[in-house]
Amino acid sequence: MQELKIDSQLLRRGAIVFAGLLVLTALEFAVAVSTLPGILLLALVLAKAALILIYYMHVRDLRNLDEGGGH
Amino acid sequence: MAAHVAENYAHQLGNRKLGLWLFILSESMIFLGLILVRFYMQGVYRPDELNQVLGLGITGILLISSFTANRAEVLISRGNRRGFLRNLAVTLLLGLVFLLIVVAVEWPEVYHFAPPSTGYGTVFYVLTGMHAFHVLTGLLVLLVVLMQSRRDRYSPADYWGAQGGIIYWHFVDLVWVFVYMVLYLVGP
Repeated sequence: MQELKIDSQLLRRGAIVFAGLLVLTALEFAVAVSTLPGILLLALVLAKAALILIYYMHVRDLRNLDEGGGH
Repeated sequence: MAAHVAENYAHQLGNRKLGLWLFILSESMIFLGLILVRFYMQGVYRPDELNQVLGLGITGILLISSFTANRAEVLISRGNRRGFLRNLAVTLLLGLVFLLIVVAVEWPEVYHFAPPSTGYGTVFYVLTGMHAFHVLTGLLVLLVVLMQSRRDRYSPADYWGAQGGIIYWHFVDLVWVFVYMVLYLVGP
């Protein structure tokens, strides 16, 4: 039961990150076609990059290299 | 004895992760250089004829592929081989669709108004070409992971091969996040 709960939590997290990436992409596009400052575009891109690095690429695992594992 | 084996495996896994990240860092330097060249050569110029709907569409495809790749990774880490294979296959398919659209639609379209002989054309084809090459190698890596998984190679205790391949795929998506901005969105 506990295992199933962890599975659905992890899958849900992946889905939330994906939704976040879609929203940020839409915002990016909106900023690009508007007269808003370009620095906003960079901020949105960096936010997307951070989401991918942290939640998809598990960059934080680099802090604990000797412990192995993933999830 | 068992504790020693586990410790040795954890140490090896740590080295493999570090190795992959060093490789990713080195590949990032290539793209950083190319992006700097874009701005040095063309500033923030961007042709009006650039197909923004196409750019947004292929970006969406790559993002969905990252989502399915993440699902695949979670599922194999929990021992769900069938779910892993299904999601990995979808990731592969989406990656292939992305690559085909770039090569067969995007490149011929851009050629009409920004051939490689022009400044923007040069930066466009070099950046998207380099990225497409990474997409191709990413697809080959995922194909190997798929074949290995069919031979029951991965388990919750040892799925680094799958995880490493999927991390590389996410890197390909990450690069596109910047390439898309630099080629399609930057500019007046």
